[in-house]
Parts: sequence; structure tokens; C-alpha cells
Amino acid sequence: MASHNPLKILSEDQVQTIYQTALGLLENIGVVFKEPRARKYYKKAGAMVDEESQRVRISADIIEAAIKQAPSKFTVHARVPENNVEVDFQKLHIEPMIGRLNILDIDTGERRRTALQDVADLVRIADAMENYHLIHSGAIMPAIEGVPLHASHAYGYLASVRNTGKVVKCSPRGRQTAEDCIRMAAVLAGGEDELRKKPHTFTTVNPVTPLQHDKGQTEGLIEYASYGIPIDVTSEPQAGATAPVTLAGLLAQQTADILSGITLAQLVNPGTPVWYGTCGTIMDMKGGLIALGAVEAGLINAASAQIAAHLGIPCRGTGSVTDSKVLDIQAGYEKAITLFMATLGGINCLFYPGVLEHALTISLESLVIDNEICGMAYRALRGIDVNEDTLAVSEITEVGPGGNYLGQKHTMEFLRKEQYMVKLSNRFSREDWMSRSGGKSVWDQAKDEVRRILQEHEPPSLDTDKEAELETILKEVEARGPEPSRVSL
Amino acid sequence: MAEHEEILERMRASIVAADETEAMAAAEAALAAGIEPLTALEEGFAGAIRAQGEAFSNLDIFLPELVLSAKAMQAGVSVLEPALKAKGIDAARSGVVVIGTVEGDLHDIGKNIVVAMLRSAGYEVHDLGTDVPIPNFISVAEQTKADIIGLSALLSTTMLRQKDLIELLNLKKIREDFFVIVGGAPVTEAWMNEIGADGYGLDAHMAIEVLDSRTK
Repeated sequence: MASHNPLKILSEDQVQTIYQTALGLLENIGVVFKEPRARKYYKKAGAMVDEESQRVRISADIIEAAIKQAPSKFTVHARVPENNVEVDFQKLHIEPMIGRLNILDIDTGERRRTALQDVADLVRIADAMENYHLIHSGAIMPAIEGVPLHASHAYGYLASVRNTGKVVKCSPRGRQTAEDCIRMAAVLAGGEDELRKKPHTFTTVNPVTPLQHDKGQTEGLIEYASYGIPIDVTSEPQAGATAPVTLAGLLAQQTADILSGITLAQLVNPGTPVWYGTCGTIMDMKGGLIALGAVEAGLINAASAQIAAHLGIPCRGTGSVTDSKVLDIQAGYEKAITLFMATLGGINCLFYPGVLEHALTISLESLVIDNEICGMAYRALRGIDVNEDTLAVSEITEVGPGGNYLGQKHTMEFLRKEQYMVKLSNRFSREDWMSRSGGKSVWDQAKDEVRRILQEHEPPSLDTDKEAELETILKEVEARGPEPSRVSL
Repeated sequence: MAEHEEILERMRASIVAADETEAMAAAEAALAAGIEPLTALEEGFAGAIRAQGEAFSNLDIFLPELVLSAKAMQAGVSVLEPALKAKGIDAARSGVVVIGTVEGDLHDIGKNIVVAMLRSAGYEVHDLGTDVPIPNFISVAEQTKADIIGLSALLSTTMLRQKDLIELLNLKKIREDFFVIVGGAPVTEAWMNEIGADGYGLDAHMAIEVLDSRTK
């Protein structure tokens, strides 16, 4: 079997050094937890907690005990069981991006705000794509155009589960939002007890690097952990801005961010499934913006996967992402470079296919194109089998000098195993390309493909009772109204 | 006069070199040599930091260099300030800004870039940091006689606090005293209009443009 992380960026000693440095940061500098319950959990576990500065200093024994409790394998359940995701640090699953504030309009090519119909379309496309498994959803969007802000997670979740039988992600932003999402996921699971046994969703919690955890997301972490729902704790350091400019320092700091979140999840509920998550990259120092398509992100991802594997925890990372505003050559090379470094580096959950523009903008066409690039990554990960059958000595003997293999049974037998069959990439002759499509670019081909899928693809239908229950919850969330103003004289 | 020019050149060089200690030493030398404090500010520091800002816009220098230059300028100006005040001159030529990331939100890298750019554009900036309760913005703005309040929020949940500030200013009947600018990833023109802010910035460049062209 091919190695799951053939691209080794760090030596074992370097992994160990980074990990030990992170433990030192946690013990000596500590992390800020804005949520008082988090500090209480840590205090009970024996950490040094300073209430005034909200700083928690965590000794290595607390962290290491938590790492041991975090499972190395777990299952995230989908409403259609064939779509269950068996997370394992020897496997790769892909989480396309869905919920962004902006979408690149397929018809006009202009950027506009993402509306509820877009969420439905994006999820439906992701449902149809064979390489996507964990669906980042409308539930986790900052806002959905035309939908009341206080209910966007409920609208986003419902629009998502209607359009896919795959695992749908939920939002951790604040206790109320987390509770609403968990209630909705419990409907899919068949009740709260079932949800505890079979987590039907997952979430992401982002420490605010360097070394901080905000209140809202930590409330969410505690809610999700109390149900044993898988959480990826993803730090988003930008080298030179929110982390040292040196990638070694970034990795140490990021590891401290992540471990402090992962440990909290274990303190709340031992055995809660977690990912060690990175969204680490550099800041582009010309414009002061995050550079998600940078080659350094690839290095950070590959190194992160090694650190996570060392801990025995699955790793979530980023790839198939670009800072380009359109689907141009930059988008292509940035997506491919980041995807291949992350996946060949051993990332287990790969996040970001479908995005453009520093992950601010989503694109239907990009989802379709990236699915194909992801297929290539899976092919690359399978590596090259070397055995009697694949060495094909009897075929080489039979064909002999000057012959060819087109007519060999062996060719037919192994073709689909050995070669990834591209759908969008154009490998025809110029004449053939012209006569087949009028000379369309991959972007234009992808537009055709999106339109075809939206017309033809029927996601597995949602049980009508469950749908009705979800609609009831949605109405309750909406009726609760916006958060009251906190202002008073 | 040659000596004066030499000192002003030293001041300019300290900004380009982003050397805080040298900026303070050069400012002291300027005052000791009898250079008018306003001349020292304008010809020593202000021109140099503007040039750094332009160099950044032209992609000739990178963000950390601009940030460190702005820090050096801040250190140097602090030396000149008493002399400027004694002459009744306000060092904050472009305006006084109270800025911070709102309560519940710890993200500040974007806000920090805005702060550096504001300083390089001649604003006096009071940076309150992150997770700032809304009433604090107003109390500091009143204490520092600020004319601008800047609110940053990265999350759609914490963005709501920007609205709280406007409401509180209205309640206190001091809304007209401040130009309120909002920023952060989820912030849009529609949001600015909805809450009744005066301006919004999608990035630091836009924030400066909005503030420089304000009429309030």
C-alpha cells in the first residue's frame, strides 16, 4: 500500500522539537480563554489559571493525557449511510467550501452576495461530486443574502441537508447557534441520544492565534464536545503577521493554539473526536492580506500532517485554494500546488475546494473543476503498485520489441486502475477540441457541467417528517428575533 | 542652517530605517538645535512617513517596513509633542481616531494595519486593542477629543456590536460629534447604511480614503 504521506517536510527530530516547543509555550506563556467555563475546566484539571488576565497555563501532563483520549479513528454520520465518513489518519477526505459571503456569478462573472438559492445550488453540486465528502454548509455562513442574520444558520442548514445526502457541517459561533444546530442535527440522527452515539455533523473552532480562544466559539466547542460531535480545532496563523515569519515558529505556536482547544474538548467529554487543524499560511506583505494560495501554505500543511500523525490525531488542512479573483492560470497553479503538497503531505481532511479570492468568494464552476484536481490527488496518493501483475513481464514478452499494448487484455484490465480519467481537462487535438466544443476553455466547460448537474442531479430526498421537524425549528429560531440591543445609558 | 538640514535628514533617515531610538534622538537634537517643532514634524517626520506610505503603495517596501516606520515616527513625535503643544500646534494634522476590535472579537490584524496606515497618514490614533466594550470607545473618544471612532469586527456575530455603538451615541445625543467608520470581513456598504455609520473600509487603503475625504 502506498504511504499516506510520501512528502515528508520534517524529520522525526524536527517534529519532536516543534511539539516540545509547543508544550513549552502552553506551560510558560499559556493561552487566553475568554469563556469562563473553559477556565473552570482547566482549573479542575490542574492548570494554572489567572482569572484576571484570563490566562491558562497548561502543563504537558494535562495536554498529553488529552491527546491519549482523542481517538485516531472515528465516524461522522451522514443521513445516507453510504456517505458516512470514516476518519482515519491513513485516509483522505475532502471538504469543499460552500458558505462564503460572495459568489462569482456563473452567468455574469461578477462577484455578488451569496443567497439561499446559491447555497442550495452549491450543495447540490457538491453532492454530485464523487470526491467531496464533508460538506461545509450554509449553516456556517457569516450571512446569507436575503435571510435574517439571526436565523442564517438554520436557513443555511436546512437548505444544505435538502440538497445533499452527505455529512453537513454546523456552526459553533456562540452557545445559542450551537444549540440550534445540534437540535437540527439531532433530527437527522433520530434524536439526541442517537446523535450522541452517531454524530451526524461536525464543526470547526478557530483559536484566534496567537494563543487565544474567543468566547463565542469556545461556547460552541463546549456544546459540541458535550455531545461528542467531531470538532476540528483549526488555527489560522499568518506568518509575519499573527505568527512568527519563520515557519518553524508558526508551527510551534499553531500547535499550542490547537492543543489547548483539543485538550478542552477532552476535558469536557473525554474521547470527543477532533482534528488537528491548520489554515496556516503567510501574510502577503505587499497588500497585508492572507495568501492562502502560497507555496508556504503547502509546506505548513505537510508539516502539520506530520505533527498530527505524531500525536495520533487526524489532520485537517487546506488546499485547492487560490487568491486569484477569477479562474485563471494563477487559480490553477495555486490550487494544484496547495492541494498536492497538503494531500501528499498526509492531510486527512482537505478543506477549501471551490474557493477563490483568499477564500472570500465561492464559485460553482470552481467546485466542479476542483473535484477533478482532487481526483488527480487521490490518484497520486495511490502511488505505484509494484508486483508481478503490474510489472507485466509476460505482456512485455508477448508484445516484444516494436509492438504495442493497445490490444492487450492487460491494458484493458488495468487501465481504469492505473489512469485517472479526466472529464474537464482538455487533451484532444486542436481540431477535435474545436469540433467537439467550439474550443471552450476549462472554465466554460465547467459552466456547462454545472448547468447540466443542476438540471439532472437529484439529491437523495429528505424524509418528509424530518423535513417538517427541521422547518419547525427554523421557524422557532426565526421567531426568536434578532439579539436584543445591549445598549443602555 | 546646514546643521538644521543635517538633523532633518537624520530624522527622515530614522523613519526609513524604522529606528525608534534614532527617531527620538534626532527629534531631541532638532529641538536642541532650535529647529521649529512644526518644521521638525513636517520636514523631518511627516514627509518621510508619507514617502514610506507611497513606497508601500508602489510595492517598493513591504508591510512590516511600513508598520515599523510608523512606530519610529510615533516615538519621534512623542519627543516633539510637548514643544508642539507649547506652541499651540496639534500634531494630529489629519484627525484623532479612537479605534479597536469590538467586544467578543479578538481578531486584530486588519485593524492593526489600518492603525499603521492611519499613523503614516498623520492621524493621532488611540488603539484600544481587541474585545473592547462599546462604552469604552465613547469614553476614550471623549477624553482624547477624538473626531473619529473606528470599529473592527471579523465575525458576523460580533459585527452587531458596531450597531450598538451608533445606538449608544444616539442615546447620549452625541452622534454628530463623531465620524464613525466600520470595517472587517463581513462589513458591507449595506451594513454601514443599515446601522447608520458614516463610512466603511474594505481594506486599509479604503479606510484612509474614506477618512481623508470626510467632511464631518
